[in-house]
Amino acid sequence: MGAPLLEIENLRTYFHSRSKRAFIRAVDGVTMVIARGETLSVVGESGSGKSVTALSIMGLLDAGPGVISGKITFRTDGGERNLLHDLEHYVTLGEQDGRIMEVSKDEAGWRKQVERIMAEVRGKEIAMIFQNPKSALNPFVTVGHQITEAIRLHTPTKHPREAKERSLYWLERVKMDSPRLRFDNYPYGLSGGMCQRAMIAMALSSEPALLIADEPTTGLDATIQSTIVGLLAELKSELGIATLLISHDIRVVSRLADDVAVMYGGTVVEYGPAPEILGARFGLKHPYTAALLASRPSAQNVEEKGGLPAIEGEVPDPIDVPRGCRFYARCNRVTEDIRDACARHEPALKELTPGHHVRCWLYGD
Amino acid sequence: MILEVTNLRKHYRQRAGIFPALRSRERFIPAVDGVSFCLEEHETVGLVGESGCGKTTIGRAILRLTPATSGRIVFDGHDITAMSARELRPLRSQMQMIFQDLDAALNPKMRVRAILAEAITTHHRLSDGEVARRIGELLEQVNLKASKLSNFPRELAGGEKRRVGIARALAVGAHFIVADEPTSALDVSIQAQVVNLLRDLQRQLGLSYLFISHDLEVVQLISRRVAVMYLGKIVEMGLADRIARAARHPYTHLLWSALVEGQSKEASHAPLNTRTGAWEPFDFERPVSGCRFAPRCPVYEARGRPAVCTDAATEPQLHDIGGRHYVAGHFPV
Amino acid sequence: MKRYSQTTGEVGESSDLSPWKTADALDLVYVGYGLLIVVLVLVSYVLGAFTWLPYDPEQIRVDLLNAPPGSAGHLLGTDFLGRDILSRLIVGIQAYFLPGLLAIVISLLLGTTLGALAGYRSGEVETLVTYFNNLVDSFPRLVLILLVIAAFKPGIYYIMVVVGVTGVPAVASLIAGKIEFLAQKNFIEAAHVLGLPSRVILLKHILWHHCMPLLVIQATIGMGEAILIETSLSYLGFGVQEPTPSWGNMVQAGANYFFQGKFWPSTAPALSILFTILGFHLLGDGLNGILEGSAGK
Ligand SMILES: Nc1ncnc2c1ncn2[C@@H]1O[C@H](COP(=O)(O)OP(=O)(O)OP(=O)(O)O)[C@@H](O)[C@H]1O
Ligand SMILES: Nc1ncnc2c1ncn2[C@@H]1O[C@H](COP(=O)(O)OP(=O)(O)O)[C@@H](O)[C@H]1O
Ligand code: SF4
Ligand code: SF4
Ligand SMILES: [Mg+2]
Ligand SMILES: [Mg+2]
Repeated sequence: MGAPLLEIENLRTYFHSRSKRAFIRAVDGVTMVIARGETLSVVGESGSGKSVTALSIMGLLDAGPGVISGKITFRTDGGERNLLHDLEHYVTLGEQDGRIMEVSKDEAGWRKQVERIMAEVRGKEIAMIFQNPKSALNPFVTVGHQITEAIRLHTPTKHPREAKERSLYWLERVKMDSPRLRFDNYPYGLSGGMCQRAMIAMALSSEPALLIADEPTTGLDATIQSTIVGLLAELKSELGIATLLISHDIRVVSRLADDVAVMYGGTVVEYGPAPEILGARFGLKHPYTAALLASRPSAQNVEEKGGLPAIEGEVPDPIDVPRGCRFYARCNRVTEDIRDACARHEPALKELTPGHHVRCWLYGD
Repeated sequence: MILEVTNLRKHYRQRAGIFPALRSRERFIPAVDGVSFCLEEHETVGLVGESGCGKTTIGRAILRLTPATSGRIVFDGHDITAMSARELRPLRSQMQMIFQDLDAALNPKMRVRAILAEAITTHHRLSDGEVARRIGELLEQVNLKASKLSNFPRELAGGEKRRVGIARALAVGAHFIVADEPTSALDVSIQAQVVNLLRDLQRQLGLSYLFISHDLEVVQLISRRVAVMYLGKIVEMGLADRIARAARHPYTHLLWSALVEGQSKEASHAPLNTRTGAWEPFDFERPVSGCRFAPRCPVYEARGRPAVCTDAATEPQLHDIGGRHYVAGHFPV
Repeated sequence: MKRYSQTTGEVGESSDLSPWKTADALDLVYVGYGLLIVVLVLVSYVLGAFTWLPYDPEQIRVDLLNAPPGSAGHLLGTDFLGRDILSRLIVGIQAYFLPGLLAIVISLLLGTTLGALAGYRSGEVETLVTYFNNLVDSFPRLVLILLVIAAFKPGIYYIMVVVGVTGVPAVASLIAGKIEFLAQKNFIEAAHVLGLPSRVILLKHILWHHCMPLLVIQATIGMGEAILIETSLSYLGFGVQEPTPSWGNMVQAGANYFFQGKFWPSTAPALSILFTILGFHLLGDGLNGILEGSAGK
């Protein structure tokens, strides 16, 4: 693993639901490291907190009173900074009987502080592409103009003509067909696949150190999905940009990731090198990862037309997070020795082999 | 033979412009354009294809949710293509649909109990006790907790909504079900539960499914035969394993090679998958003559754009190539 | 082929709660006030109907002409003939209550029927309904009513029939819009697939489950308008005639003494009109914000 670029330590992002007087624990203790030039993939079911993690990094969360705690260290050549620096000063919690009854947040101060930290980072050092490219692009501005603007804003290239040349270069780079033609298109004239290419071009054009891709292929058709994944793979090997790739699709992840973090119920339950986590050996894995991998049709059960080994039950409610292991209610590997621990205490993330962390009582105490 | 569809066409009329009254600006979208297939008892036929190629439209036409433009639909020996709503009603108890959109499929103002009770009493007059017994039976069949009966749909998790939808289809006693993307809106772990449920129900109750999906692996797992659609037409149809392993149509080939490519890390460059930029989805407005797949077809390109492919007079038709395998194309690979 | 919806951004809490719990505070105040007015009107209507009144509303007291509020047990004072204003206000409700209900019933029944026809059966019927709606809509209401009065010199009930009919287009277009919106929803299609007759689907799934709030809202607004029209007409002398009290003719009769410093005979009914109409309108508005606002989101 290369030198760390972004380190997330124990990130917690809670939204507060006024009507239920409770926290929605969207992200609840996420720890992971993205190394320079490598791709870290976050996999997990919907609602497991993948997108909120990404938005927390980008400082793009502004809905309602919420709390973010932990540490996100971003290291560039210019030094290192904590992207959550001092944010805790803007929130006060009113507690009653150990339950948080009330949150007051200095929204304006919070936002100002976030903008102060992120101004130098967002779009420049860290760029992001979204699941729905159509809604992320401005519908009233041509694709080419949007990319040109991004280049002039974030890179030393300021001259309009040079910036245009540069954006054409990036459109070509992402294999947009007839880039000169598409340059003057408005987003609605482009198909989903082309929009996603334009988004990628725009994100890359500022030559960021880190690219966050939140479900970049999810809304697209199977055939188009595979070309976008191919494009990302190519760009990865050519440009060597560190990437945080969020996806629920294990096939996409297995093609692109160097490291994988598996999220469940707002927390990382397993985290390590991709071959170890996604590989066929089910022995040293978190029970959830193993079950998730098994629940997709494999060559074998397609052959036999057998049933799928499903995980029974549903994902936990982020408002009412179980006290012990979050996966306990659905876990099929609880043994009598650890049942008590599983039910009552949340296991810690433990390093099994170098770089491979698992959060499960099965592995050590 | 429980279902026989012959040359089904559905052309949606779209009125363009601000003045709907000016009919001259009308356009037709040939969402389904001459599709024939059949379904035997206890069989699952998978219907795959890209978004917007007309899969849902076929399902809706079969259930007469939308009138077919032309063609013939024979269900259980009855020609239902032009039946009146009244004549159709008794047959409704035998054919049902599971809807693609989880949230829109259940009336948000009705509790689960009312939804199921309504379905149960649609075709049979039953006493309250019998209805309750039947609801209990259904819950057991779809593996849903009885405590969910008094919930509104919005209070259910995705998998539970899906189970209610399935229970409703079973409640009337259907033995043919159009399952429109029953797993696509669900989480990975729940998808497997639903696939298993559908398979178990099929075995227990002898159901037949038209299984619409774009998840090729699931389709391959659950169906005996698969039909591949492109732009309103079936381009290839055959036993699931043959479609997956010995596809003859260039489009089917591409679909499955995209899948294989996704599975292995070193992108296996399938010989066909060479044209980048040729990947944009079709649209119904681009006029086509001859083979609809030609603008994206690598074989067409590799063969130096042969004229037969784009000649309207020689539009490829499905033909039998043996072993219940049908392909529409001039140059099967 | 939207697989996973992006939850972030749309706070998930509003959808899984009853609209009353997440309602805007102002809307709740509106509804609270409106309900208070409705209750007052209902109670007064019953009191008037059984003539459980402090005084006989038509009893003339020459010794107490325009007596100020509070004098000799007359809570709101007396009018220019010494009649008790409070009793007359209570009885004045008789002038609009049943006629108003008639207007509401007509506009809701006809409006729902036409709206359902237009929404459910497109084509000729829809065009016909649209023409009818446009025709009725294109006349200013009051002008139409005055024309009818000039032509037929009718009683208040006939006038309210006109009011009801002119209220039809608004209801019809709302219902038709709702039906068109719902018809594309899968659960309506699912009901068809189940084999439920269209009539049941229309009545149960569409009207009962999804149009009730709309109809209640329209009813409250309709009542407000009926009151406005009845009182305006009575004020102008076309509606309820002296000595039978109506808030409108009370204002008119009292107005003559307003500038002599005897403000109460006209102000009391005028404020009653104001607060009552406001109450019905705010009730409709608040209900609309709470029930329809969240459903439309
Ligand atoms: N009511 C309608 N009016 C006009 N066009 C329609 C209508 N319904 C569907 N279409 C069009 O018909 C085509 C086929 O639609 P259909 O819903 O059958 O696709 P599908 O294969 O089910 O796609 P998906 O995978 O997205 O569900 C699309 O181009 C769609 O836009
Ligand atoms: N703005 C918000 N307000 C309240 N809850 C939210 C918000 N955004 C996300 N959540 C909740 O946080 C949890 C994690 O969401 P998300 O990160 O979007 O999941 P995913 O892993 O699918 O990307 C979900 O339960 C979601 O409902
Ligand atoms: S800690 Fe226990 S319940 Fe949790 S995953 Fe491990 S074995 Fe299962
Ligand atoms: S008929 Fe021609 S264009 Fe069509 S799929 Fe076959 S080779 Fe390709
Ligand atoms: Mg997400
Ligand atoms: Mg569909």
